[in-house]
Amino acid sequence: MALFVFGAFMVAEENLQSLFRKWGDQLQLNAYLDKALSPAQITLLQDRIQSFPEVERVHYISREQAWKDFRAALGPQSNVLEGLPEDVLPPSFEIFVKPFHRDSPLVEALASRLRKEKAVTAVEYPQESVDRLSLGILIVEWAKWAVGAILFVVTFFIVGSVVRLGIAARKDEIEIMQWVGASEELIQAPFVIEGIIQGIIGASLSLLCLWTLWLLLLDQLSIPFGLFGSPLQFIDWRDIALVVAMGGLLGASGSLFSLRRFMKTWRG
Amino acid sequence: MFVTGASGAGKTTLLKLLFRDEEPSEGQIVIAGQNVTRLKRRGVARLRQRMGLVFQEIKFLPDMTTIDNVALAGLVAGVPRRESYRKALGLLRELGLEEKYDAGPLTLSGGEQQRVAIARALMNDPMLVLADEPTGNLDKELAEETMKIFLKIRQRGTTLMIASHNLALSQRYGTRIISLQHGCLIGDWERVKEGRR
Repeated sequence: MALFVFGAFMVAEENLQSLFRKWGDQLQLNAYLDKALSPAQITLLQDRIQSFPEVERVHYISREQAWKDFRAALGPQSNVLEGLPEDVLPPSFEIFVKPFHRDSPLVEALASRLRKEKAVTAVEYPQESVDRLSLGILIVEWAKWAVGAILFVVTFFIVGSVVRLGIAARKDEIEIMQWVGASEELIQAPFVIEGIIQGIIGASLSLLCLWTLWLLLLDQLSIPFGLFGSPLQFIDWRDIALVVAMGGLLGASGSLFSLRRFMKTWRG
Repeated sequence: MFVTGASGAGKTTLLKLLFRDEEPSEGQIVIAGQNVTRLKRRGVARLRQRMGLVFQEIKFLPDMTTIDNVALAGLVAGVPRRESYRKALGLLRELGLEEKYDAGPLTLSGGEQQRVAIARALMNDPMLVLADEPTGNLDKELAEETMKIFLKIRQRGTTLMIASHNLALSQRYGTRIISLQHGCLIGDWERVKEGRR
Protein backbone atom coordinates (compact mmCIF):
# COMPACT_ATOMS: atom_id res chain seq x y z
CA MET A 1 0.00 0.00 0.00
CA ALA A 2 2.80 2.37 0.98
CA LEU A 3 4.66 1.67 -2.22
CA PHE A 4 1.44 1.99 -4.24
CA VAL A 5 0.86 5.49 -2.86
CA PHE A 6 4.52 6.41 -3.29
CA GLY A 7 4.40 5.14 -6.87
CA ALA A 8 1.22 7.14 -7.56
CA PHE A 9 2.99 10.31 -6.43
CA MET A 10 5.93 9.42 -8.67
CA VAL A 11 3.61 9.09 -11.68
CA ALA A 12 1.97 12.45 -10.88
CA GLU A 13 5.34 14.13 -10.44
CA GLU A 14 6.71 12.60 -13.64
CA ASN A 15 3.80 13.91 -15.70
CA LEU A 16 3.79 17.34 -14.13
CA GLN A 17 7.54 17.58 -14.78
CA SER A 18 6.91 16.57 -18.39
CA LEU A 19 4.24 19.24 -18.71
CA PHE A 20 6.54 21.80 -17.18
CA ARG A 21 9.30 20.88 -19.60
CA LYS A 22 6.85 21.08 -22.51
CA TRP A 23 5.64 24.50 -21.42
CA GLY A 24 9.21 25.49 -20.92
CA ASP A 25 10.00 24.48 -24.49
CA GLN A 26 7.16 26.65 -25.63
CA LEU A 27 7.86 29.43 -23.19
CA GLN A 28 7.76 32.63 -25.07
CA LEU A 29 7.10 36.26 -24.31
CA ASN A 30 5.07 38.46 -26.59
CA ALA A 31 6.37 42.01 -26.82
CA TYR A 32 3.95 44.37 -28.59
CA LEU A 33 5.59 47.21 -30.52
CA ASP A 34 4.76 50.83 -31.26
CA LYS A 35 2.82 50.96 -34.55
CA ALA A 36 4.88 53.98 -35.71
CA LEU A 37 8.20 52.08 -35.81
CA SER A 38 9.99 52.00 -39.13
CA PRO A 39 11.32 48.72 -40.55
CA ALA A 40 14.88 49.79 -39.75
CA GLN A 41 13.97 50.55 -36.15
CA ILE A 42 12.21 47.20 -35.86
CA THR A 43 15.30 45.41 -37.18
CA LEU A 44 17.56 47.29 -34.75
CA LEU A 45 15.31 46.43 -31.82
CA GLN A 46 15.09 42.80 -32.88
CA ASP A 47 18.88 42.53 -33.04
CA ARG A 48 19.25 44.14 -29.62
CA ILE A 49 16.75 41.77 -28.01
CA GLN A 50 18.38 38.80 -29.76
CA SER A 51 21.63 39.78 -28.08
CA PHE A 52 20.11 39.37 -24.59
CA PRO A 53 21.77 36.35 -22.88
CA GLU A 54 18.39 34.84 -21.93
CA VAL A 55 16.97 34.99 -25.43
CA GLU A 56 17.17 32.01 -27.77
CA ARG A 57 15.50 33.63 -30.79
CA VAL A 58 13.17 36.44 -31.73
CA HIS A 59 10.43 36.08 -34.30
CA TYR A 60 8.88 39.24 -35.78
CA ILE A 61 5.15 39.28 -36.49
CA SER A 62 4.04 42.16 -38.69
CA ARG A 63 0.64 43.80 -38.38
CA GLU A 64 -0.51 42.02 -41.50
CA GLN A 65 0.65 38.65 -40.22
CA ALA A 66 -0.98 39.31 -36.85
CA TRP A 67 -4.24 40.09 -38.60
CA LYS A 68 -4.01 36.92 -40.67
CA ASP A 69 -3.24 34.80 -37.60
CA PHE A 70 -6.11 36.40 -35.66
CA ARG A 71 -8.60 35.65 -38.47
CA ALA A 72 -7.34 32.06 -38.66
CA ALA A 73 -7.72 31.63 -34.90
CA LEU A 74 -11.31 32.84 -35.01
CA GLY A 75 -12.09 30.38 -37.78
CA PRO A 76 -15.77 30.51 -38.83
CA GLN A 77 -16.36 33.53 -36.55
CA SER A 78 -13.81 35.63 -38.44
CA ASN A 79 -16.64 37.51 -40.19
CA VAL A 80 -17.03 39.62 -37.04
CA LEU A 81 -13.84 41.35 -38.16
CA GLU A 82 -15.55 42.68 -41.32
CA GLY A 83 -15.18 46.41 -41.56
CA LEU A 84 -12.12 46.61 -39.30
CA PRO A 85 -8.84 47.86 -40.80
CA GLU A 86 -6.22 45.17 -41.31
CA ASP A 87 -3.56 47.17 -39.50
CA VAL A 88 -5.54 47.48 -36.28
CA LEU A 89 -3.27 45.00 -34.51
CA PRO A 90 0.20 46.13 -33.48
CA PRO A 91 3.37 44.40 -34.68
CA SER A 92 5.03 42.17 -32.09
CA PHE A 93 8.03 40.01 -31.29
CA GLU A 94 7.67 36.39 -30.18
CA ILE A 95 10.68 36.00 -27.91
CA PHE A 96 11.77 32.42 -27.10
CA VAL A 97 13.71 31.97 -23.85
CA LYS A 98 16.73 29.69 -23.51
CA PRO A 99 16.06 26.52 -21.47
CA PHE A 100 18.16 27.35 -18.44
CA HIS A 101 16.61 30.80 -18.15
CA ARG A 102 13.04 29.57 -17.81
CA ASP A 103 12.74 30.05 -14.07
CA SER A 104 9.93 32.36 -13.15
CA PRO A 105 12.12 35.10 -11.58
CA LEU A 106 14.42 35.16 -14.61
CA VAL A 107 11.52 35.37 -17.03
CA GLU A 108 10.01 38.20 -14.96
CA ALA A 109 13.36 40.02 -15.05
CA LEU A 110 13.50 39.66 -18.84
CA ALA A 111 9.95 40.99 -19.14
CA SER A 112 10.92 44.00 -17.01
CA ARG A 113 13.88 44.75 -19.27
CA LEU A 114 11.68 44.52 -22.34
CA ARG A 115 9.10 46.87 -20.83
CA LYS A 116 11.86 49.45 -20.40
CA GLU A 117 12.40 49.53 -24.19
CA LYS A 118 10.67 52.63 -25.51
CA ALA A 119 9.43 50.91 -28.62
CA VAL A 120 7.77 48.12 -26.59
CA THR A 121 4.27 49.02 -25.52
CA ALA A 122 3.35 45.82 -23.64
CA VAL A 123 4.83 42.47 -22.67
CA GLU A 124 2.82 39.31 -22.01
CA TYR A 125 3.87 35.82 -20.91
CA PRO A 126 2.13 32.94 -19.09
CA GLN A 127 3.72 33.81 -15.74
CA GLU A 128 0.88 32.69 -13.54
CA SER A 129 0.59 29.33 -15.23
CA VAL A 130 4.32 28.71 -15.01
CA ASP A 131 4.34 29.75 -11.34
CA ARG A 132 1.42 27.51 -10.50
CA LEU A 133 2.85 24.54 -12.30
CA SER A 134 6.21 25.03 -10.68
CA LEU A 135 4.59 25.25 -7.25
CA GLY A 136 2.41 22.26 -8.03
CA ILE A 137 5.43 20.15 -8.87
CA LEU A 138 7.18 21.23 -5.67
CA ILE A 139 4.12 20.34 -3.61
CA VAL A 140 3.80 16.94 -5.26
CA GLU A 141 7.48 16.23 -4.68
CA TRP A 142 7.35 17.19 -1.00
CA ALA A 143 4.11 15.32 -0.52
CA LYS A 144 5.61 12.28 -2.18
CA TRP A 145 8.51 12.16 0.27
CA ALA A 146 6.50 13.21 3.33
CA VAL A 147 3.70 10.72 2.76
CA GLY A 148 6.21 8.15 1.62
CA ALA A 149 8.25 8.57 4.82
CA ILE A 150 5.20 8.25 7.06
CA LEU A 151 3.91 5.23 5.20
CA PHE A 152 7.38 3.72 5.16
CA VAL A 153 7.66 3.97 8.95
CA VAL A 154 4.16 2.57 9.48
CA THR A 155 4.80 -0.25 7.03
CA PHE A 156 8.17 -0.93 8.67
CA PHE A 157 6.46 -1.67 11.98
CA ILE A 158 3.68 -3.68 10.35
CA VAL A 159 6.25 -5.75 8.48
CA GLY A 160 8.13 -6.11 11.74
CA SER A 161 5.05 -7.45 13.52
CA VAL A 162 4.35 -9.94 10.78
CA VAL A 163 7.97 -11.03 10.76
CA ARG A 164 7.92 -11.40 14.55
CA LEU A 165 5.06 -13.86 14.25
CA GLY A 166 7.09 -15.86 11.77
CA ILE A 167 10.15 -15.70 14.01
CA ALA A 168 8.16 -16.80 17.04
CA ALA A 169 6.96 -19.80 15.07
CA ARG A 170 10.60 -20.67 14.39
CA LYS A 171 11.86 -19.94 17.89
CA ASP A 172 13.15 -23.48 18.38
CA GLU A 173 15.10 -23.30 15.14
CA ILE A 174 16.80 -20.09 16.23
CA GLU A 175 17.53 -21.54 19.64
CA ILE A 176 19.18 -24.64 18.18
CA MET A 177 21.32 -22.53 15.88
CA GLN A 178 22.45 -20.47 18.86
CA TRP A 179 23.27 -23.60 20.88
CA VAL A 180 25.58 -24.97 18.22
CA GLY A 181 27.39 -21.65 17.99
CA ALA A 182 25.96 -20.18 14.80
CA SER A 183 26.88 -16.54 14.35
CA GLU A 184 24.08 -13.99 14.44
CA GLU A 185 24.60 -13.28 10.76
CA LEU A 186 24.09 -16.95 9.92
CA ILE A 187 20.89 -17.04 11.98
CA GLN A 188 19.59 -13.78 10.55
CA ALA A 189 20.43 -14.43 6.91
CA PRO A 190 17.44 -16.68 6.02
CA PHE A 191 14.99 -14.27 7.64
CA VAL A 192 16.50 -11.24 5.95
CA ILE A 193 16.45 -12.96 2.57
CA GLU A 194 12.84 -13.91 3.19
CA GLY A 195 12.09 -10.27 4.05
CA ILE A 196 13.79 -9.03 0.88
CA ILE A 197 11.83 -11.48 -1.28
CA GLN A 198 8.56 -10.53 0.36
CA GLY A 199 9.39 -6.86 -0.03
CA ILE A 200 10.18 -7.26 -3.71
CA ILE A 201 7.00 -9.24 -4.29
CA GLY A 202 5.00 -6.58 -2.44
CA ALA A 203 6.59 -3.81 -4.47
CA SER A 204 5.92 -5.68 -7.71
CA LEU A 205 2.27 -6.16 -6.76
CA SER A 206 2.01 -2.44 -5.92
CA LEU A 207 3.43 -1.53 -9.31
CA LEU A 208 1.07 -3.95 -11.01
CA CYS A 209 -1.93 -2.36 -9.23
CA LEU A 210 -0.64 1.09 -10.10
CA TRP A 211 -0.16 0.08 -13.74
CA THR A 212 -3.71 -1.35 -13.85
CA LEU A 213 -5.15 1.85 -12.37
CA TRP A 214 -3.08 3.83 -14.83
CA LEU A 215 -4.54 1.93 -17.78
CA LEU A 216 -8.06 2.41 -16.44
CA LEU A 217 -7.65 6.16 -15.97
CA LEU A 218 -5.51 6.82 -19.04
CA ASP A 219 -8.37 7.77 -21.29
CA GLN A 220 -9.89 10.23 -18.81
CA LEU A 221 -6.59 11.87 -17.96
CA SER A 222 -5.32 12.03 -21.55
CA ILE A 223 -7.87 14.69 -22.48
CA PRO A 224 -6.79 17.45 -20.08
CA PHE A 225 -3.09 16.71 -20.49
CA GLY A 226 -3.43 16.43 -24.24
CA LEU A 227 -4.85 19.95 -24.37
CA PHE A 228 -1.53 21.17 -23.03
CA GLY A 229 0.32 19.12 -25.60
CA SER A 230 1.98 16.81 -23.09
CA PRO A 231 1.34 13.09 -23.58
CA LEU A 232 0.83 11.08 -20.40
CA GLN A 233 3.49 8.61 -19.37
CA PHE A 234 4.01 6.01 -16.66
CA ILE A 235 7.18 6.06 -14.52
CA ASP A 236 10.32 4.92 -16.30
CA TRP A 237 12.45 1.83 -15.61
CA ARG A 238 14.73 3.62 -13.19
CA ASP A 239 11.81 4.65 -11.00
CA ILE A 240 10.33 1.15 -11.20
CA ALA A 241 13.68 -0.26 -10.07
CA LEU A 242 13.73 2.31 -7.25
CA VAL A 243 10.30 1.20 -6.01
CA VAL A 244 11.30 -2.46 -6.17
CA ALA A 245 14.54 -1.70 -4.34
CA MET A 246 12.61 0.20 -1.67
CA GLY A 247 10.36 -2.82 -1.25
CA GLY A 248 13.36 -5.07 -0.77
CA LEU A 249 14.92 -2.63 1.68
CA LEU A 250 11.68 -2.36 3.62
CA GLY A 251 11.40 -6.13 3.89
CA ALA A 252 15.04 -6.60 4.88
CA SER A 253 15.08 -3.86 7.49
CA GLY A 254 11.78 -4.97 9.00
CA SER A 255 13.10 -8.53 9.32
CA LEU A 256 16.42 -7.47 10.75
CA PHE A 257 14.88 -5.11 13.27
CA SER A 258 12.35 -7.67 14.48
CA LEU A 259 14.85 -10.49 14.62
CA ARG A 260 17.31 -8.51 16.68
CA ARG A 261 14.60 -7.44 19.11
CA PHE A 262 13.31 -10.98 19.33
CA MET A 263 16.73 -12.43 19.98
CA LYS A 264 17.50 -9.78 22.55
CA THR A 265 14.19 -10.39 24.31
CA TRP A 266 14.55 -14.11 24.14
CA ARG A 267 18.03 -14.05 25.60
CA GLY A 268 16.57 -12.12 28.51
CA MET B 1 31.11 -32.63 37.78
CA PHE B 2 27.59 -32.48 39.07
CA VAL B 3 25.73 -29.34 40.01
CA THR B 4 22.99 -30.20 42.44
CA GLY B 5 20.29 -28.36 44.31
CA ALA B 6 16.55 -28.09 44.62
CA SER B 7 14.42 -26.55 41.89
CA GLY B 8 15.18 -22.85 41.68
CA ALA B 9 18.59 -23.23 43.29
CA GLY B 10 20.29 -21.82 40.21
CA LYS B 11 21.62 -24.90 38.46
CA THR B 12 20.29 -24.00 35.02
CA THR B 13 21.22 -20.37 35.49
CA LEU B 14 24.80 -21.38 36.23
CA LEU B 15 24.99 -23.37 33.01
CA LYS B 16 23.41 -20.52 31.05
CA LEU B 17 25.99 -18.15 32.48
CA LEU B 18 28.75 -20.45 31.29
CA PHE B 19 27.57 -20.49 27.70
CA ARG B 20 26.57 -16.86 27.88
CA ASP B 21 22.88 -17.30 27.51
CA GLU B 22 22.60 -15.15 30.62
CA GLU B 23 24.55 -12.04 31.51
CA PRO B 24 26.12 -11.88 34.97
CA SER B 25 25.12 -8.88 37.07
CA GLU B 26 28.64 -8.63 38.43
CA GLY B 27 31.90 -10.52 38.55
CA GLN B 28 33.51 -12.46 35.76
CA ILE B 29 33.41 -15.94 34.28
CA VAL B 30 36.68 -17.51 33.26
CA ILE B 31 36.72 -20.67 31.15
CA ALA B 32 40.04 -22.26 30.17
CA GLY B 33 41.82 -19.06 31.10
CA GLN B 34 39.53 -16.87 29.01
CA ASN B 35 37.29 -14.25 30.57
CA VAL B 36 34.07 -14.95 28.71
CA THR B 37 32.11 -12.21 30.46
CA ARG B 38 33.29 -9.57 28.03
CA LEU B 39 32.81 -11.50 24.82
CA LYS B 40 30.90 -9.81 22.04
CA ARG B 41 28.41 -11.65 19.83
CA ARG B 42 30.97 -13.24 17.55
CA GLY B 43 33.03 -14.32 20.53
CA VAL B 44 30.00 -15.91 22.17
CA ALA B 45 29.27 -17.87 19.00
CA ARG B 46 32.87 -19.12 18.87
CA LEU B 47 32.73 -20.03 22.57
CA ARG B 48 29.62 -22.14 22.01
CA GLN B 49 31.33 -23.91 19.12
CA ARG B 50 33.90 -25.12 21.67
CA MET B 51 31.20 -26.36 23.98
CA GLY B 52 28.58 -29.05 23.75
CA LEU B 53 25.10 -28.44 25.11
CA VAL B 54 22.63 -31.14 26.11
CA PHE B 55 19.30 -30.15 27.58
CA GLN B 56 16.41 -32.00 29.14
CA GLU B 57 14.11 -30.48 26.54
CA ILE B 58 15.65 -31.89 23.39
CA LYS B 59 15.19 -29.82 20.28
CA PHE B 60 15.90 -30.68 16.67
CA LEU B 61 15.32 -29.09 13.32
CA PRO B 62 12.24 -31.10 12.31
CA ASP B 63 12.71 -30.77 8.55
CA MET B 64 16.19 -32.30 8.70
CA THR B 65 17.30 -35.88 9.24
CA THR B 66 19.16 -37.18 12.26
CA ILE B 67 22.55 -36.93 10.59
CA ASP B 68 21.72 -33.42 9.30
CA ASN B 69 20.97 -32.30 12.83
CA VAL B 70 24.24 -33.71 14.14
CA ALA B 71 26.36 -32.41 11.24
CA LEU B 72 24.85 -28.94 11.66
CA ALA B 73 27.17 -28.24 14.58
CA GLY B 74 30.19 -28.94 12.40
CA LEU B 75 28.92 -26.95 9.43
CA VAL B 76 28.23 -23.93 11.61
CA ALA B 77 31.79 -24.13 12.93
CA GLY B 78 33.14 -24.04 9.41
CA VAL B 79 34.03 -27.71 9.09
CA PRO B 80 33.80 -28.78 5.43
CA ARG B 81 30.59 -30.50 4.52
CA ARG B 82 32.04 -33.92 3.76
CA GLU B 83 34.11 -33.90 6.94
CA SER B 84 31.09 -32.84 9.02
CA TYR B 85 28.93 -35.66 7.72
CA ARG B 86 31.69 -38.22 8.05
CA LYS B 87 32.23 -37.27 11.66
CA ALA B 88 28.49 -37.13 12.37
CA LEU B 89 28.08 -40.67 11.04
CA GLY B 90 31.00 -41.81 13.20
CA LEU B 91 29.42 -40.37 16.32
CA LEU B 92 26.06 -41.93 15.54
CA ARG B 93 27.78 -45.28 15.04
CA GLU B 94 29.56 -44.90 18.36
CA LEU B 95 26.25 -44.22 20.06
CA GLY B 96 24.51 -47.13 18.36
CA LEU B 97 22.39 -45.01 16.01
CA GLU B 98 24.09 -45.62 12.68
CA GLU B 99 21.01 -47.21 11.17
CA LYS B 100 18.85 -44.28 12.16
CA TYR B 101 21.00 -41.67 10.40
CA ASP B 102 18.37 -40.73 7.80
CA ALA B 103 15.38 -40.92 10.10
CA GLY B 104 13.55 -37.83 11.24
CA PRO B 105 14.78 -37.18 14.77
CA LEU B 106 11.25 -36.79 16.07
CA THR B 107 10.47 -40.36 15.02
CA LEU B 108 13.11 -41.67 17.45
CA SER B 109 12.47 -42.81 21.00
CA GLY B 110 13.29 -40.59 23.98
CA GLY B 111 16.55 -42.36 24.68
CA GLU B 112 17.56 -42.27 21.03
CA GLN B 113 16.81 -38.57 20.82
CA GLN B 114 18.98 -37.95 23.85
CA ARG B 115 21.84 -39.82 22.19
CA VAL B 116 21.41 -37.74 19.03
CA ALA B 117 21.61 -34.61 21.17
CA ILE B 118 24.80 -35.92 22.75
CA ALA B 119 26.26 -36.70 19.31
CA ARG B 120 25.51 -33.12 18.23
CA ALA B 121 27.16 -31.82 21.39
CA LEU B 122 30.32 -33.82 20.63
CA MET B 123 30.68 -32.79 16.98
CA ASN B 124 33.37 -30.17 17.49
CA ASP B 125 35.39 -32.06 20.14
CA PRO B 126 34.28 -29.68 22.86
CA MET B 127 36.45 -28.79 25.80
CA LEU B 128 33.34 -28.61 27.96
CA VAL B 129 29.97 -30.32 27.77
CA LEU B 130 27.13 -28.76 29.70
CA ALA B 131 24.13 -30.98 30.36
CA ASP B 132 21.01 -29.70 32.08
CA GLU B 133 18.94 -32.52 33.57
CA PRO B 134 19.91 -34.86 30.71
CA THR B 135 18.20 -37.81 32.32
CA GLY B 136 15.18 -35.91 33.59
CA ASN B 137 12.78 -37.35 31.02
CA LEU B 138 14.31 -40.83 30.91
CA ASP B 139 13.47 -43.94 32.85
CA LYS B 140 16.04 -45.51 35.17
CA GLU B 141 17.46 -47.85 32.57
CA LEU B 142 17.88 -45.14 29.94
CA ALA B 143 19.28 -42.77 32.53
CA GLU B 144 21.98 -45.32 33.38
CA GLU B 145 22.68 -45.81 29.69
CA THR B 146 23.06 -42.07 29.21
CA MET B 147 25.40 -41.76 32.16
CA LYS B 148 27.63 -44.48 30.70
CA ILE B 149 27.89 -42.45 27.53
CA PHE B 150 28.87 -39.43 29.60
CA LEU B 151 31.54 -41.46 31.32
CA LYS B 152 33.02 -42.32 27.95
CA ILE B 153 33.00 -38.61 27.07
CA ARG B 154 34.84 -37.83 30.27
CA GLN B 155 37.42 -40.47 29.49
CA ARG B 156 38.27 -38.57 26.28
CA GLY B 157 39.37 -35.69 28.43
CA THR B 158 36.29 -33.54 27.97
CA THR B 159 35.11 -31.74 31.07
CA LEU B 160 31.52 -32.58 31.87
CA MET B 161 29.22 -30.43 33.95
CA ILE B 162 25.84 -31.97 34.66
CA ALA B 163 23.06 -30.10 36.41
CA SER B 164 20.77 -32.54 38.14
CA HIS B 165 18.53 -32.77 41.17
CA ASN B 166 19.03 -36.56 41.15
CA LEU B 167 21.28 -37.01 44.17
CA ALA B 168 21.63 -40.75 43.67
CA LEU B 169 22.97 -40.25 40.18
CA SER B 170 25.38 -37.56 41.27
CA GLN B 171 26.70 -39.61 44.15
CA ARG B 172 27.18 -42.61 41.92
CA TYR B 173 28.84 -40.95 38.96
CA GLY B 174 30.08 -37.60 40.13
CA THR B 175 33.81 -37.01 40.68
CA ARG B 176 33.02 -33.58 42.02
CA ILE B 177 29.70 -32.33 43.28
CA ILE B 178 28.82 -28.72 43.95
CA SER B 179 25.62 -27.87 45.68
CA LEU B 180 23.62 -24.70 45.19
CA GLN B 181 20.88 -23.05 47.21
CA HIS B 182 19.19 -19.78 46.29
CA GLY B 183 21.98 -19.09 43.80
CA CYS B 184 24.76 -19.56 46.32
CA LEU B 185 27.37 -22.28 46.62
CA ILE B 186 26.73 -24.24 49.78
CA GLY B 187 28.87 -27.29 49.21
CA ASP B 188 31.74 -28.60 47.12
CA TRP B 189 32.76 -32.24 47.35
CA GLU B 190 35.47 -33.93 45.42
CA ARG B 191 35.73 -37.68 45.21
CA VAL B 192 39.16 -39.06 46.18
CA LYS B 193 40.41 -42.62 45.96
CA GLU B 194 40.21 -43.28 49.70
CA GLY B 195 36.70 -41.87 50.05
CA ARG B 196 34.71 -38.72 49.89
CA ARG B 197 36.31 -35.62 51.37
